[in-house]
Amino acid sequence: MTVEKAVLKVYRYNPEKDEKPYYREYEVPVDQAQTLLDALFYIQENLDPSLSFRFFCRAAVCGSCAMKVNGISRLACKTPFKPLVERSKGKPITVEPLNFLAPIKDLVVDHDKPFESLKNLETWLEPKKPVPEKEYRVSPEEVKSYERPTNCILCFACYGSCEAVMDDPKYAGPYAFSRVYRYVLDSRNDEEHKKEMVKRAMEVGDIWGCVQCQKCIYVCPKGVRPAEDIQNVRGIAAEYGFKEYPGVKKLQHFVDWVYATGQINRLALPEEVYGVDPTPLINKFKERGAEVWEVPKPLPGLIEFRDLILEVMKEKKPHLDIDFHHVRKIDKKVEEVFNADVCTKITQHFEEKKEDFFTRFWKKVSQFLGAS
Amino acid sequence: MKKVGFYQGCCFQGPDAHMFDTLKKVFADLDVDIKLIEKTTCCGGNTIDEANKFLVYSINARNIALAEAEGLDLLVTCNTCYMVLAKTKHALDTDPQLREEINKLLAEEGLEYKGTSKLWHILPFLLEEVGLEKLKERVKRPLKGWKIATYYGCHIKYPKEVAVVDSEDPQGLEELIEALGGEPIKDYEGANTCCGYHAFYTNKEVALKKVVRAPEGAKKAGAEMLVTPCPLCFKAQDIYQDMAENKPNVPSVYLPELLAYALGYDAKESGLSYHIIPVEKISVKAGAI
Ligand code: SF4
Ligand code: SF4
Ligand code: FES
Repeated sequence: MTVEKAVLKVYRYNPEKDEKPYYREYEVPVDQAQTLLDALFYIQENLDPSLSFRFFCRAAVCGSCAMKVNGISRLACKTPFKPLVERSKGKPITVEPLNFLAPIKDLVVDHDKPFESLKNLETWLEPKKPVPEKEYRVSPEEVKSYERPTNCILCFACYGSCEAVMDDPKYAGPYAFSRVYRYVLDSRNDEEHKKEMVKRAMEVGDIWGCVQCQKCIYVCPKGVRPAEDIQNVRGIAAEYGFKEYPGVKKLQHFVDWVYATGQINRLALPEEVYGVDPTPLINKFKERGAEVWEVPKPLPGLIEFRDLILEVMKEKKPHLDIDFHHVRKIDKKVEEVFNADVCTKITQHFEEKKEDFFTRFWKKVSQFLGAS
Repeated sequence: MKKVGFYQGCCFQGPDAHMFDTLKKVFADLDVDIKLIEKTTCCGGNTIDEANKFLVYSINARNIALAEAEGLDLLVTCNTCYMVLAKTKHALDTDPQLREEINKLLAEEGLEYKGTSKLWHILPFLLEEVGLEKLKERVKRPLKGWKIATYYGCHIKYPKEVAVVDSEDPQGLEELIEALGGEPIKDYEGANTCCGYHAFYTNKEVALKKVVRAPEGAKKAGAEMLVTPCPLCFKAQDIYQDMAENKPNVPSVYLPELLAYALGYDAKESGLSYHIIPVEKISVKAGAI
């Protein structure tokens, strides 16, 4: 019986010897490897002892074996080999070091930079004062709230996939903000220090550079959800009152306009966030013959929708409140554009709602009568 | 005629207000009746999540419940809306306590999230519910010789639990372009890079760097335009690309526009003539329209 073999196309580079990186292909019998890491051992032991890669635990715990496999960041020890071969459909499997980290040798990259970021963002506990005599008490709910970010093993798979890291030299990296979030949630942490961390996340780590591509969530081998942790830290920044950041102004736009009209208004965003007059852009569209609605048409059911938002906000306090002064301005604008339509619409729907209420009431009464 | 509920999101406003009417006609041509679920609102744009995740779940549970109340599935024509709605659906379908909490709030309006309506993103909807055969049959103006780079965007690929295409090897757009008579270009440099849309109002500099990557790669690969099933990628590649330094100036089109054009709608109705970066392919033939 012939043993099925897979071809691994492996990135090779020894900065001390090689002028530039190159690829070398190795044939690995599929039945010789459970995981991609095993396949690399096979190469090292049988084909080429000079191949370097990092590993330790072999069980997705230490985070040292992250690399790029067919373009995607993965832990070699957590990547089953046979399915990988099958998915590659006869094409060589490319194995490369993680993106965006300085090369050391072959698949080994320098982790100093992302570790440095954690220091720069001060992602740790500064004991809250007064320090209790015995120990801090932490509720199980609290522990649960940061369970996910706590699972991070600092493998930097997310870092190597991050769209913000690619184009923002200041960007600290997904894992770093998950860690910020984890320590902001911690009740043992000093309030001032939390604020400092959030401030650093913005100023030193440029958390607003995240493009929300969600790749970090996709590649994380431990189920950490950095993109969502980033959203939370951004919200907390708004709550701390860092209002001057464009991102906070954008968030205010979304909260206010959606409450006021059920929609955002993309044509008002340039003005509200950057103070830029959108007229030239609007004119460009008009020149091309497009009909431009400067305000979104208020949606039917708006009153009920607003009620829902207020109810929700009462139950779960948002990081950023609705600015009702702004909402009134929006209302006025909508009324102008639609000839007070929003008022009539609102009253109209209010009437409908009342009607609804009575219909429902009678339904209940007749149900009750029917039942008894 | 197949009937499906339609979620409008914030995509059909400003200069794109006409687009819903066009879509309605285009889908009717494909034997699909799209019924606007009028009361649906903005999904929060993956931004309100920053202020309050629970609010995002609530408004999107409401959006879905509105379709359920009419007994319809919900068709979504934006990657981000799709992802945000699908994340809500996923959360409510897997967390009974959350569902109960939210249903209490929705009850006031006489609504209930049951989980009975399917969410459709436009790409799989076209492939699975309309089908390539029908598309081919209904094409009136084949996009002959149009070299079109396919751009999927991020939010239908990640995160995994809401992806509608293979996250590492997305398929479908190429077959669609072929069905419309065009020549798809796949696997160009930057095809998998984010368009940068969502960073434009948080960090403009980053967004303007991101936005040129895919158009640049597409250009190098010989494409005359990009096509995307996401109106936000499209807006980024149209409006923001135009603002970027060293812009490659490759026009980007929104999949429904291309569909409309190939099905015989003119440059205006399809929206193709309103682009900031002109779609030169249509102006060549402008006389004929
Ligand atoms: S969502 Fe943000 S942090 Fe995550 S990979 Fe994308 S840009 Fe990076
Ligand atoms: S967040 Fe996930 S992918 Fe990123 S370093 Fe931590 S464990 Fe690795
Ligand atoms: S070897 Fe430890 S995570 Fe892979």
